[in-house]
Amino acid sequence: MANDRTILGIFSDESKAVSALSALQKTPWSVRSVHSPVPSRRIAGALSGKPSRVGYFTLAGGIIGFFTGFALAAYTAVQWHLVVGGKPVVALIPFFIVGFEFTILFAVFGNVAGLIHQMKLPDYKALAHHDGRCSGSAFGVTVVCPAADEALLLRFFQEKGAETRILS
Amino acid sequence: MSEDPQHHTFDTIDDSVLATLAPASPSYWMTVGLLACGILIGAGCWAYQIAEGIGVAGMNNPVAWGTYLINFVFWVGIAHSGTLISAILHLMRASWRNPIARAAETMTVFAVCVAGLFPFIHLGRVWMVYYMLPVPNQRNLWQNFQSPLMFDVVAISTYLIVSSLFWYTGMLPDLAVVRDRSNGRKKKIFTWLSLGWTGAHEQWRHYTRAYLFFAALATPLVISVHSVVSWDFALGVVPGWHTTIFAPYFVAGAIHSGLAMVLTLMIPLRKIFCYERIITIGVLENVAKTIIFTGLIVAFAYGTEFFIAWYSQNPVEMEVFRYRPTGHYAAGFWIMVVCNTLVPLVFFFQRARRSLPILFSVSILVNVGMWFERFVIIVTSVSRDFIPHAWGRYAPTWVEFGIMLGSFSLFFFLFVLFVKHLPSVSMTEMKEMLGQGGGHGQ
Amino acid sequence: MNETAQHTAGPVFFTRTLAGGAMGLVGMGLVFFFIALSGTQSDRAWQAYLISFLFWSSVAQGGLLFSAVMHITRARWGRSLAGAAEALAGFFPVSFVLFFILFLGHHHLFPWAHMELGEKAGWLNTKSVFIRDTAGLFILYGLGTGYLFHSWAFRLNRHAERGRLKTLFNRLWSGRPVDPDRFRGRTTLFAVLYVIAYALVLSLIAYDLVMALDPHWYSTLFGAYHFVKAFYMALGVLIILASLLHMNPAVPFALRPSQFHDLGKLFFAFCLVWADFFYCQLVVIWYGNISEETAYVIQRTLAAPWRPLAWFVFTVAFVIPFLILLNRRIKSSPKWMSLLSAFVLLGLWLEHTLLIGPALNPHARSLPLGILDGFIFIGFMGLMILATASVFHVFPELAETRIPEGP
Repeated sequence: MANDRTILGIFSDESKAVSALSALQKTPWSVRSVHSPVPSRRIAGALSGKPSRVGYFTLAGGIIGFFTGFALAAYTAVQWHLVVGGKPVVALIPFFIVGFEFTILFAVFGNVAGLIHQMKLPDYKALAHHDGRCSGSAFGVTVVCPAADEALLLRFFQEKGAETRILS
Repeated sequence: MSEDPQHHTFDTIDDSVLATLAPASPSYWMTVGLLACGILIGAGCWAYQIAEGIGVAGMNNPVAWGTYLINFVFWVGIAHSGTLISAILHLMRASWRNPIARAAETMTVFAVCVAGLFPFIHLGRVWMVYYMLPVPNQRNLWQNFQSPLMFDVVAISTYLIVSSLFWYTGMLPDLAVVRDRSNGRKKKIFTWLSLGWTGAHEQWRHYTRAYLFFAALATPLVISVHSVVSWDFALGVVPGWHTTIFAPYFVAGAIHSGLAMVLTLMIPLRKIFCYERIITIGVLENVAKTIIFTGLIVAFAYGTEFFIAWYSQNPVEMEVFRYRPTGHYAAGFWIMVVCNTLVPLVFFFQRARRSLPILFSVSILVNVGMWFERFVIIVTSVSRDFIPHAWGRYAPTWVEFGIMLGSFSLFFFLFVLFVKHLPSVSMTEMKEMLGQGGGHGQ
Repeated sequence: MNETAQHTAGPVFFTRTLAGGAMGLVGMGLVFFFIALSGTQSDRAWQAYLISFLFWSSVAQGGLLFSAVMHITRARWGRSLAGAAEALAGFFPVSFVLFFILFLGHHHLFPWAHMELGEKAGWLNTKSVFIRDTAGLFILYGLGTGYLFHSWAFRLNRHAERGRLKTLFNRLWSGRPVDPDRFRGRTTLFAVLYVIAYALVLSLIAYDLVMALDPHWYSTLFGAYHFVKAFYMALGVLIILASLLHMNPAVPFALRPSQFHDLGKLFFAFCLVWADFFYCQLVVIWYGNISEETAYVIQRTLAAPWRPLAWFVFTVAFVIPFLILLNRRIKSSPKWMSLLSAFVLLGLWLEHTLLIGPALNPHARSLPLGILDGFIFIGFMGLMILATASVFHVFPELAETRIPEGP
């Protein structure tokens, strides 16, 4: 909303950030995002989050890949129906290898597609509010509060030992 | 683990790694220049071969596969160890791999690139590669997907694409670190490269999951790719090639040579970049221990092949295995056995595992041995197969040596360029080691 | 060093029902074995004996391999499971004795004894096979015992007295001053030697007792295939054992869901490795199409009566576990994993039959598989249960895990 303040609190270590997050759960303010230089299980635990859905993209890619690989090998063999090397025209045993490699390839494509889709990258606009220290050694917590609570939120952050920056 | 990086902080890790990206010294550029000369020599030889024909190389009847295949298998083998370190050890939550994972994965990508050149080189008339690609055409001509050579096309391309994507995805958070700590044009380049990564918890949530899947997919890929390469030989009926143990034997051998190459690269790297506290001697020790393991597997494979050759009582098979240790190429055979199986045994002693000169020399010897293993397998089997009247010898020509020089130069050229322009140690995974145990969210 | 001393009064592991049940199984196996021996089916009896001997010995050998590998790699997650895996090695002495008994049936078991072998007869004759396989098993089991002796010095509570074996061990441990570092070093040494011996001896057993049944066929990967399959089977049994201990409230053995998950992942991994080693042999033999090699495969996968069994084995031991184990939640559930493992073990028992059966019954019209084989197999299982339970009875500390912290 127009009179919301977005404030970034920068903590120098993980435990301070985690304790701030648990304290924030008791306040009416919402946490928009938490930026960290490493993935943190404790931070993920302090925030509610569903498991990532990237896996479904990967699985779909893998299944498509398996049948594509097999289909490519079988289709191309059937175009001429030539018995080569005494092997059947559509030979399951060697075609399995082609299917297997395509499974992995398409599963990886699915993985990357899922990752791009779910992370919504590339996203260069978000960099405007990004504080460079959060990729180095600091943990940044971005909180949204009504304009009236700005001073309260700033004091909350300072009590928890964070540096603050008003983003908007 | 004896040294733990507890004396590091997030900032010291960033500082150590980012310091390596500072502008390079003249000696660096001289090295790059020297390697570029090597590449030009190789390229020149290749151009000569394209102009004059494949006959300028030593392959002929009966030995139709020579150094081009040897180098192909050699480089693919080296690539596998990088994926072992970055993917398989990630699945096993072996955090000692974190300091070397980035460099190892880079080694993989560049080794596959170099390896992928060799089928082209071996074609002679490189434009014929068109017929190996399943491009729809008016004559309805398609590849024979039952051929192991086509398996290679599929497998190596898959491996190159997957490794590159894995490498790049793994680097994303680190590219963001470089972006945030640089200015000007460098900042612009890394901003673009890092895709706007901010380290938000939502991003990490998806990222760690996807990275796990990458690792889980890369693992069977590693095994299947080198199995496919081994089947280039094993699916034929050539004695000494047609044997069921080839697939796991080649995979183990690949990892053996790749780990040795990791040591060859890491030991100078940590000295030049002052990474001693990041790539600790403990990490190198663990690589050495793994080399013992892979060396034993390779020894087991050698022994099994000889035993079964006798057990089979097949005169052709027995002749190949008599010819290898006692025939014209016996020197190569004994280099292979000594360097691959006996030399790594020195790592049973902890003092050897923690001594840089010994680690480095053993790594070079293992790589020499593994190169000769491919030489012995390829050349001896084909030079003496079924019909004695058709037996013949092989020796590489200067064109092949030139191309080989070019390939080694290309690999080191790419690697040397990499270490100065992209973070050669994964800062993110190093930081994760400080907190928990694993890498990227494990 | 383990400090807990007091356990529940009375036998927890060797309850009367367990002992009775296991001995009942052994008894039934014996009965069927002797009935078959005295009747017209002595060949079948010995075939079933060989299959069951190989199966359960592999489980024991693979079980100890798990512990040795966990020790060498210093993997933390496997530490609680290592005790249970080591208990499986209690079958070693039983297996050794059973091996001697196996040779009583050599007329029925070694078709090569009646065949023209040429030079190979120097390798394949009853005396050589017996001597070298006995030596191999002796070395393997000896190294395994050495490993356990050194590893248990730390794990067990030396002061609790429980029977003669424990007293003997205690005396050996107290006999010399236990320098922890040296013992740890020796444990690692024995573990490494055991792993090397495992690869060599199991390959040897595979070549001599399974591959040689078709003496003119060979496959270089056969030995490795056997020891990889052994580890796969051992993991299956370990899952069942760990689940039983975990679900038994009287036993202080508790695993976190993440540990079951890890064990399930390892099981999945070896399902793939086993299938991969099978495929490596299949693709090379199929593609080369050399009749000396293909006869073996054709007889087992394409010819009646073995073809349906081959497909059954492939489905039960690979396809079904592969599809099921892709799911994350199933791997953390002891109950479902035990069920799946039992299923897979059934498939692998049949796989042994598939490899050995056609060689010993070359002109079979119908599958030489029936209740007789099943009861003999279960009889061996009874022996395994008795051996494992005895180990836990004498060394109850093996079935202890620390109270879990974390997920």
